[in-house]
This record gives sequence, C-alpha cells and structure tokens, in this order.
Amino acid sequence: MQHETTTNPMISVRGMSKLFGKFVALDRVDFDISRGEKIVVLGPSGSGKSTLIRTLNQIEPHDSGMLTIDGKLINEKTDPIQLRCMVGMVFQNYNLFPHLSVLENCILAPMRVRRMTRMEATALARRYLEQVGIPDQADKYPIQLSGGQQQRVAIARALCMQPEVMLFDEPTAALDPEAIVGVVGIMDELAEQGITTVCVTHEMAFSRRIADRIIFMDQGKIVEITPPETFFTSPKSERAQNFLNQMLRY
Amino acid sequence: MTSVLSYLRLPRRLRPVAALAVALTAAVLPGVARAEQVPSFVQDGTLTVCTNPTLPPMTFVKGQDVTHPEGFDIDVAQALATRWHARLSVITMDFTGLFPSLSAQRCGLVMSGIIRTPAREKSFDAVSYQDTALVVVGRKGTPSLSSMDELSGKDVAVESGTSYVTRLGVVNDALIAAGKPPMIIQQYPTEEQVVQQVLIGRVFAFVSQDVELFYRMRQLGDKLHVLITPNIPDYRHFAIYIRQNPEDRTLLQNAISALDSDGTLQTFRTKWSVTDQSTKGDAAQAGAGGMFDWGAFFSALTSMAFLHGALITLSVALISHFIAITISVPIAIVLNSPQKSLLKVALEGYVSLFRAAPTLLQLLFIWNAVPQFFPIFREQWFTPFLATILALSINESAYQVEINRAALSAVDPGQELGASALGLSRRDIYWRVIFPQAFRIALPPTINEFINLLKITSLASVISLQELLAVTQIQVARTFAFTEYYAAALIYYLVMVFFFLFLQKRVERRFSWSDRKKVVSNAA
Repeated sequence: MQHETTTNPMISVRGMSKLFGKFVALDRVDFDISRGEKIVVLGPSGSGKSTLIRTLNQIEPHDSGMLTIDGKLINEKTDPIQLRCMVGMVFQNYNLFPHLSVLENCILAPMRVRRMTRMEATALARRYLEQVGIPDQADKYPIQLSGGQQQRVAIARALCMQPEVMLFDEPTAALDPEAIVGVVGIMDELAEQGITTVCVTHEMAFSRRIADRIIFMDQGKIVEITPPETFFTSPKSERAQNFLNQMLRY
Repeated sequence: MTSVLSYLRLPRRLRPVAALAVALTAAVLPGVARAEQVPSFVQDGTLTVCTNPTLPPMTFVKGQDVTHPEGFDIDVAQALATRWHARLSVITMDFTGLFPSLSAQRCGLVMSGIIRTPAREKSFDAVSYQDTALVVVGRKGTPSLSSMDELSGKDVAVESGTSYVTRLGVVNDALIAAGKPPMIIQQYPTEEQVVQQVLIGRVFAFVSQDVELFYRMRQLGDKLHVLITPNIPDYRHFAIYIRQNPEDRTLLQNAISALDSDGTLQTFRTKWSVTDQSTKGDAAQAGAGGMFDWGAFFSALTSMAFLHGALITLSVALISHFIAITISVPIAIVLNSPQKSLLKVALEGYVSLFRAAPTLLQLLFIWNAVPQFFPIFREQWFTPFLATILALSINESAYQVEINRAALSAVDPGQELGASALGLSRRDIYWRVIFPQAFRIALPPTINEFINLLKITSLASVISLQELLAVTQIQVARTFAFTEYYAAALIYYLVMVFFFLFLQKRVERRFSWSDRKKVVSNAA
C-alpha cells in the first residue's frame, strides 16, 4: 500500500502547538498526510496523541502554527461546521446520544447539517448500519446495545456525514477482546475503501496491518514518522524502542 | 355602586334628604358645588380606598365576590366620593399592608375600622368619623372582670398590625410595675382568627372594638360575652387616614362634618347596626364548636369565589414558573461555563440575593417599596397579579438556576464533544442533544419547585392578591365556618398538586429512554 506523495496533501501541519494553560500538549509538530493515506499515531499516555487528532477537526483549536486540510487554511475564522462535514470522528467512549435511537443518532447530523430529508438520511444510515454489521439494531436505544455494537453505531454515525477524513481516538480502548476484533474488522474494511484515516490506538497488530505510516509521539513532540515495518522492527529513536519493549512485555 | 343602591333602600322619609344632598353637591347649585373643593388625593376623578375587608360591620365581604367589600366604611367612602364627584375604587388587602400602601400612593385614603392613635398621626393625617370603645371579650360563662389587672398572666389574643398591642402594653407595664405577671399577648393576622382563639379555648380573652363585637355577638349568638370595657381615654375614635397634607386634612374634615350634620353618617350607623347591642342576629350560622357542616363545605367547594381563587393561584404559579425557567436556563449556562467574567459575577450575585431573601419580603418590597422610587409602579396597570408574578418569577428563577446547573453538569461532556464533531451548530447541540438529557434530570426537582410555588402564592394575600387562601380567609370572616372552608381550600390545593404529580409521572415515562435493568447489566 504505497502512496505517492502528491503536491497537494489532504492534511498539512506546520509548526502547530497547543497549550493547556502552561502545559504544552503539542510542541511545534510538522507532517503531511496524503489523500487516502492511513496513519496510526502511537505513543505513551499523555504524549499528545489525542490532542493532535482533536486539532485536526478543531474540537481543540490550535494555538499557533499552520493547519491546512484539502488545501484550505484552517484557523479561528474557519467555519467549524464545514470542516467537521469533511472530517469525521469516532471516540473512545462512543459519545452516542442516549435519548435517541440508533437510527436517530445516525440521521440527526445529516438532516440538521447536510439538510437531507428524513428519507434520504434514513436510507444512507441503513446502508452504513449494514456496513458495520448491525442493520437490525436501528430502532434500539444505545443503552440496549453492547460496547462493541455501540462503537459500530458511532462509526456508522460518523460515516453518515460522508467525510473525506476519519479520525479515530482510541476506538477500541473501552472494548473487550471479542468486540475489538469486530471493530478492527470494520476499520480494516474502511481502510480498503480508500478513506483518509488517522487513528490513535494501542492495537499493535492492527497498526502494523493497515498503517501506511506510523507517527510516534512523546511529550507533545513527534519523535518519528516511519512506515510500520521499519517502526516495529528497527525504530530510529531510543524512546520508540523503549515504548515498543514495554508494549511487547505485556 | 353599593351605596347608590343603599340610598334607594333608605326609609322613605330620609330619601329626599339624601337626594337633596347629592343633588346640591352635584350640579344644581354651582355656587355650593364650588365650595366643595376636592382634595389632592382624589386623582383622575377616582377616590381610591385601601381596606382589609375582614372587620364587620365596618368593612367586610358579605357575598361571594371578594373584590366588592361592603360595610359602614365602604358606604362612608362612597358618600365622600359622591361629594367630590369622583368614582370610588376599593382595593382590598391584609391589614398589615394598608399603611405601606398608603405611603406608596397606591390609595388616596385608608379606611378599615382603624383606631386614631398618636403614633399613627406622626406619619399620617387622621380624621375621626366614628366613636368606639375598647372591649375585652371572653367565652360565655367566664366571670366579668372588675379591672384590667385581673388579666395578669392570662393569654389575650389581638389582631396583628392594630393598635391593641400598644394599648395592652400600657396595661402590661402597669402590671409589671406592680410586681404582677403581664398578660401574654398572641397576635393573629385576621379578626376572625382572634375570635376563634377564644371560641376554641386557646386564649382567655380577646380585645376588640365595641362596634365589631356587636356584629360578632349577633353572628355567634350567645357564645361570647364582654368581660370588661376599660375606660381608656385615648383610642376612642375610628379614623380615616391620609398622607400628611394640611389642606387635604381640612377638606376631609369638612366633608365628614357635612356628612354628620346632614344625617348621612347616622343613616349608615343604623343600616349597619353599628351601635346595636342586641344579640339576636340575622347573620350566618356559626360553625365554631359545632359538627362539620357538609352543606357549607360543598357550597364553598362549588362556589365561584373558590374557583376564581384557585384559578388565580394556578395561573400565578404557572406564569411565574414559566418565566423563571426561561430566565434561568441562560443564567445556568453562563454560570456553568469555565470562563470568568463580570457577567458571571453579577449573575452569581443575583442568584445568591434572591435565594437568600424571604419570598414574603420580596413581595412586600416590590409592592410597597419599589413604587416610592419608581412612580410608574404605582399606576393602575401594576396590579397585585403582575406584582406577584414579578416577585415570584425573580425568586423562583434563582432556585431554578441551581436545578438547571446541576442538570446541565450531569450531562456527560462527551455529548457536546460528540455533537460538535458531527458538525452540529451550537443551537442544535443545546436543543437536540444537551437539553433533552438535562430536562429528564431536572424534571423531578422542577415539579417539586412548582408545587412549592403553587403553595407560596398564598403569601401574595399580603399585597391584596385574591388567591385561594385569601378568598378562604375572607369567606371565613363572614361565616366563621373555619373547618368547612379550610377543608374546601385543602381539596383545591390537593387536586392541583395531584394533577401535576400525575403529569410528572407521564412525562417521566415518555423520557425514560434508558431501561434501568439494562444499565445495571451493562455496568456489571
């Protein structure tokens, strides 16, 4: 799965920083992500992985540096709604709306933001629910589903906005091993469909299988950006080595 | 209107006199009419009178319509209005609200069987219109007293806000000086409650005025009897009170003298039996001491007066709470936001202030104090209904802010994150995602607050709002059927509260998207 680096990357980040009070969560990071590329972000807890992908859809606006998505400069003047139509996101805790049924969870944003009719949105939602393997749960409420099923709904809900980029923030961290297999399977499928993906995860096997490149972070800095084979067999930095040793030990 | 009719009901021989008096002052002889200068408290051709209609025969509600008191005072007020070519407007309220209302210029004069006292004349001008005497009254069978000293150590009931407390204080001072225990004085907000304390045997005696007592005696048959009529030189006159103004005082004095000399006052005295000491009465049967009168209970329950009072209670509570919720939601959102701002500090002050101040005080403040600074609030449009809604909305919004804050905080912050990641607008995030979840959490305490508010409306009787409890008390003053009327009021409150509890259950069921069992099994 080699991708040529095009002159017009999907996501381009230059010297981007993010502060929480005095704490530097992101420290002048630089990288480009090509259209259709799969990126996995690895790193120890508190290294700034989640903050990094949250700046990409501006749920956490960055403080300095430059961010462009699909050639458009993203800053505080950008309409966040337009940006989020283009960049979908899945969270560790699903963040489904408990007062709405599975179907209503999926059609709310397409109807309110994309101005689809209920019929259009419903047809779209059923298609994606089918894709994530839970077509017959549409009328249930989130609380009636298992964790794995809820995360599938969250993925379908994000896909209903037909984004060009999907961000996954530790999507399997709250799931049991069996559910992880199911959700990872769906992410594999998405990867094959060619959607640009940035995923924060601790699933090493999954990372190795689908990632085009690995971004390894520590203390708010990007330590290295390498293809998975190189990263898992012979990481350049000592910190990455330590990280991998710890991951493999457990 | 009452007094015009009563003129027509006068004995035939008096009619020409009365008619002549009206005619003279009206227009037939402009020379005489010009002599009758109109006092400045008659404004826009209206004489506004504040009264507490629980003091028969001076001022009380005879029928079901609590907004139309009758009595000796009301007839005199009408006669004054007629003299001054003015329309009479009567505002009814608690006794304690009368003088503050006069100060706040809500009325031109106060007339409510009030004794002329030097203390009151320090703040207001007074004109006497009726002689009276203080009486100490006990139950039938209580031996008469030969001096006030014999009340030493006994319980005595009086109406609060009246001058009786001061007068009994003088007696108490003498008792203490003589080394005897003083009387224990209990104060009650209405006259009939004072009388009731004696009837049920809680106090030894009550203190009242002879004219009121004569009426009570006819009402209650032989259940009461005068223990002593002490000879106190002061406090021998009922007076009309006005704001201090020497010219107005002279004009009022002249008008009363004229009504006295042309026999009008005497006519009214006869009409209302102000000096009639016979105990054979035509008034309603007394309920006190007897069995529960189902007839009185059902007639109260089905009366327009109670229904109207209940509707006022209900609408005040509904409107106030609606406004309170509308105000409180944005305040709660601002207070829950992490940023510090001047607005936030101001809103925190607002919430603390109105949670801390007693509701009753807020009502009195808005009705009696605010008009002194903003005259617009003493105009006709600012009715007790509006004032109550204003006070209760502000008061309730402070409580509701806290409920809303708790409910909004209880919604998982991930919900806002998830919703904004989907591109939903701020408006949609609140209306489609956060509010529906917060609503379910806020509903039970909000209904609780509403039920509280429904009952708190009864405080508004102090600013003359004719809500359910005010109506009940005025009806009790007329009939003395305490148990029956209280029971009828209770039924109304219970029906209203149970209806809203039922509504809460229904709405909760509608919003119960989470099955409790499922939550537990998922958590396990």
